[in-house]
Amino acid sequence: MPKVKIPRKSTHVDMTAFCDVAFLLLSFFMLATQFKPDEATKVETPKSVSSDTIPTKDAFLVTFDKGGRVFITYDDAEKKKALLGKINADKAVGLTDQEIAKLNKAMEAGIGVPFNMLKSLASKEIAEIPKVNQPGIPVTDTLNNELKLWIAELLAVNGGTKPKNVMLKGDNGTNYPTFINVLDAFTKNGIYNFKLITMPENVPGGTYLYDERTSGKKDKK
Amino acid sequence: MADIESGGGGGHKKGPGVKKSKKLSTRVDLTPMVDLGFLLITFFIFTTTMSSPTAMKLNMPDDTAKDDEKNKAKESGALTILLGKNDQVFYYEGKLAEDGSNFKRAIFGRTQGEKTGIRDVIIDKKKKLGENADKDMVVVIKPNDESTFKNTVDILDEMTINGVKKYALVKISDPENQVVKISEQGVK
Repeated sequence: MPKVKIPRKSTHVDMTAFCDVAFLLLSFFMLATQFKPDEATKVETPKSVSSDTIPTKDAFLVTFDKGGRVFITYDDAEKKKALLGKINADKAVGLTDQEIAKLNKAMEAGIGVPFNMLKSLASKEIAEIPKVNQPGIPVTDTLNNELKLWIAELLAVNGGTKPKNVMLKGDNGTNYPTFINVLDAFTKNGIYNFKLITMPENVPGGTYLYDERTSGKKDKK
Repeated sequence: MADIESGGGGGHKKGPGVKKSKKLSTRVDLTPMVDLGFLLITFFIFTTTMSSPTAMKLNMPDDTAKDDEKNKAKESGALTILLGKNDQVFYYEGKLAEDGSNFKRAIFGRTQGEKTGIRDVIIDKKKKLGENADKDMVVVIKPNDESTFKNTVDILDEMTINGVKKYALVKISDPENQVVKISEQGVK
């Protein structure tokens, strides 16, 4: 009987296709990723059913964390500079132009120090500033609500026009007085409209909003 | 992949005694590369924030408004929600009775078992008012100093969920705060 020759098959699998898929996915995720912007403090926001997107233009952001520390961020570079300049002049902080530029940069992540500490914050190297443990802008005391002064100066710099978007970002665990003090600082300056930054959440079934959204009516809120 | 003859010396028949030089494969093992690819993918998946944050509108009243413009709420349509520490919710309808008999405890969300959910309280109130609900119903939210920002956002969200048109965030009064404190002590 002739021997039946069984062809010996290689166990080697061609990985090229697999590799292609891996890198395709990799490039997708790399392009889709938006890295979180620098933040002066870590904040875990509450959830809400709201579906509005976060406005990015002319946005004045106040962040308050678990410990009640308050930070401010403003995205308009020109106005931010003018604001810091005015604070410098009015509060006799004694910053040099260079230091103002530094604070301007630091404000992208958030500034959270009382006026009397601005100088020492600005005197640090630019790379060191994010590492500083900032105590937060004082808001608790009604007599010494510095956030109120910040906003008053902001309005003065802008010639009385309010920033289009005032956003508040708070931590789940922030106690209520901090929140209401921040609100107070704005309402005392005549700003009444806010946007709270939250994480999206599903609308619970069987409720008014659920019916409204599923019936295809436009969401007015 | 095409195999390429490594040129020259690699012939088959060299005669006896001549050592056969090994034919080198040009095939590269891609397994480590795939590993690396997927490692990076996992990294990007974890760092990506897929659900971007949303903005929730909050409009505060102009507190420079004259006093006589305030307090227009009808007693029948008023629902006051009080927030205490450790996510505790209390509510009363209309005015707070002297003996505190209409002061009740609730929990966030829906009713669960014997615990009344604040959502059902709002829905019931709306039903009771019927057609006038949009006009007459006013929910007054009074968080006390020990409640958290999360509680406030949750209850404001509840207004949106249930379509309450009029609601206000108001400072808690001393008697109310005391009632809340006493009630809190009752339950751990």
